Amino acid sequence: MLERFALGAQVAFHPTALLMTLVGVAWGIVGGALPGISGSIAMALLLPLTFGMDPAVALMMLAGVYVGAMYGGSITAILISTPGTPGAAATVVDGYELHRRGQSGKALGVSLVTGTIGGVVGVFILVGMAVPLSKIALAFGPPEYFALGVFGLALISSFVGRDLVKGLVSALLGLILATIGIDPFAGTPRFAFGNVDLLSGVAAPAGMIGLFAVSEILHQIAEGGDWERIRGRYSTQLPSLREIWSLRVATLIGIVFGTIEGLLPGGGGAIASFIAYNEAKRWSKRPEEFGRGSLEGVAAPETANNVVTATALIPLLTFGIPGSNSAAILLTAMMLHGVQPGPALFDRTPHIVYGLFVGLLVANVMMLVLGYLALRPSIAIVNVRRPLLLSGILGLVLVGAYSINNRMFEVWIVLVTGLVGYAMRRYGYNVLAMVLGLVLGFMVEANLRRSLLISLGDPWVFFTRPISAVLLALALATFVSPILRRVREERRAAHAEGVARPAAG
Amino acid sequence: MRRADLVAGVLLLALAGVYLQQSLGIERGFASDRLGPAFFPQLLGATLAVLAGALVVRAVLKRSDPTPLPPARVGLLWAVVGLLVGYAVVMPYVGFLLATPPLLAAVTVALGLRQPLLVVAPALGITLVLYAVFGRLLGVLFPRGPLGGW
Repeated sequence: MLERFALGAQVAFHPTALLMTLVGVAWGIVGGALPGISGSIAMALLLPLTFGMDPAVALMMLAGVYVGAMYGGSITAILISTPGTPGAAATVVDGYELHRRGQSGKALGVSLVTGTIGGVVGVFILVGMAVPLSKIALAFGPPEYFALGVFGLALISSFVGRDLVKGLVSALLGLILATIGIDPFAGTPRFAFGNVDLLSGVAAPAGMIGLFAVSEILHQIAEGGDWERIRGRYSTQLPSLREIWSLRVATLIGIVFGTIEGLLPGGGGAIASFIAYNEAKRWSKRPEEFGRGSLEGVAAPETANNVVTATALIPLLTFGIPGSNSAAILLTAMMLHGVQPGPALFDRTPHIVYGLFVGLLVANVMMLVLGYLALRPSIAIVNVRRPLLLSGILGLVLVGAYSINNRMFEVWIVLVTGLVGYAMRRYGYNVLAMVLGLVLGFMVEANLRRSLLISLGDPWVFFTRPISAVLLALALATFVSPILRRVREERRAAHAEGVARPAAG
Repeated sequence: MRRADLVAGVLLLALAGVYLQQSLGIERGFASDRLGPAFFPQLLGATLAVLAGALVVRAVLKRSDPTPLPPARVGLLWAVVGLLVGYAVVMPYVGFLLATPPLLAAVTVALGLRQPLLVVAPALGITLVLYAVFGRLLGVLFPRGPLGGW
């Protein structure tokens, strides 16, 4: 074990490897921060650069982008309420609130430090638990994946707010969007209307650029208040040790759920951050601060999404199952370099695996340093005049969308989903619910059908298998409990009104 | 919001209808599973129809949220969307380098920045940076247009 780490360090500390990791992390922070460029798009754009590299260096560079993007994503989440990466979506709630209250520097500092903690701890979890936990993942069949997808969808009821009907409609729109294209099972076209571009499906990255970034830009254009420069100077405020200690519960929760999400292929960081956010709120001593600028509300999701950068590699490296878009890109890079994931990878090419492990640690340290240095420029970007910033972001979004497949189709997807996203925002629907539907649709359907194929059509297969049963029970509880709470609150309010009325009448 | 809910409900009902109707035409293909490729879409379509119906009923019974919508600069929004659509139509023919600066400049002007230098210089600068980073460094193949090999 130890000599394998020495080998890994040798690979990771090679000057070329260090330089490429640094470039990767820097690009990740910038790409993650730029709205519309998520971690996976930043990685995908860099992929062609890695063709000529040593496979270990290529993977380290891409993993560096992944790591950097998680912090970069929180920069825009905090400063312009647009998660640069889906994993930072939960950071928006309190991060942006802190920014509005003039605590941008503090929010960024907490995100950076807890993110680094998450990333580093994540690497140790990755190394320490890869083998034993992968044995549990071995027991995961289609029913369990189906249950996991359902659980992800059930989360929607906890974040859509008061109007559950509109939240569910939003999720259904995402699920419906995910059914466009080739059927995951039978290979027959669905809802393509004879259009070749539609056949390949609505690419999730393009949909996310549209729904999150473009809808936000359109929102700012149509309803944005003042177009003044943001006045005042912001400075980086790294949290003190005492403050970090006070965030220990939220950070720990982030580590736990980041680890779970990384292990179980699913939504790629977004779900973990939301669960971590909700759980941190539940366990917090000051839950009333959540939504009003809680540092814990930044720490929990930011720890979680950085943990995922490491733990998502567990199913990827051991089974070749990509748990997210980013992991899928890493898998693509591995295949391009003829590296086959699986148990043999650890034994035959330890320099790649352990080089990647050490490289991830290096990348997290680089993120801390670069993130600290990049804070001021990132704030300066927000201070660019809004018309210029918005047209610049639009230009970047158009180019980013085009570059996904070198064609105009994704540009159209981005424009249409952007308009839809803006309308949804305006009329009380939930963009995030739609994105979850879009991301999880394939997983839910494919595994539902695969499960029933295995069970010869017996639907009890989901309840007789323990892991699947537990996940489904959790899904039900997660879905119902916010509704029950809301009903109880409304009844109490109605009761109070009923008591008050006779006196008034 | 009530009128918007009613409109949205009706539109979503129509969408569910079209979606369900289209799902009837899905071929089974080589699917050997019992549910087949049409089951999941039909489940989604039916659920959407029910929820859209709920939206309509709520709006008609005046039980939806009566809060008025925040004001919006609808004209400006459509102007920018129009520019973007125009760009997406024209760019493949004109080429990236010729189409992008006018778009960025037009959007900047539409959003209220009028100083010529602040409009033109960033439009050119952003285009060149995007071109350098994506086109040159990252090897994205942009439509070239009449500029040819540039």
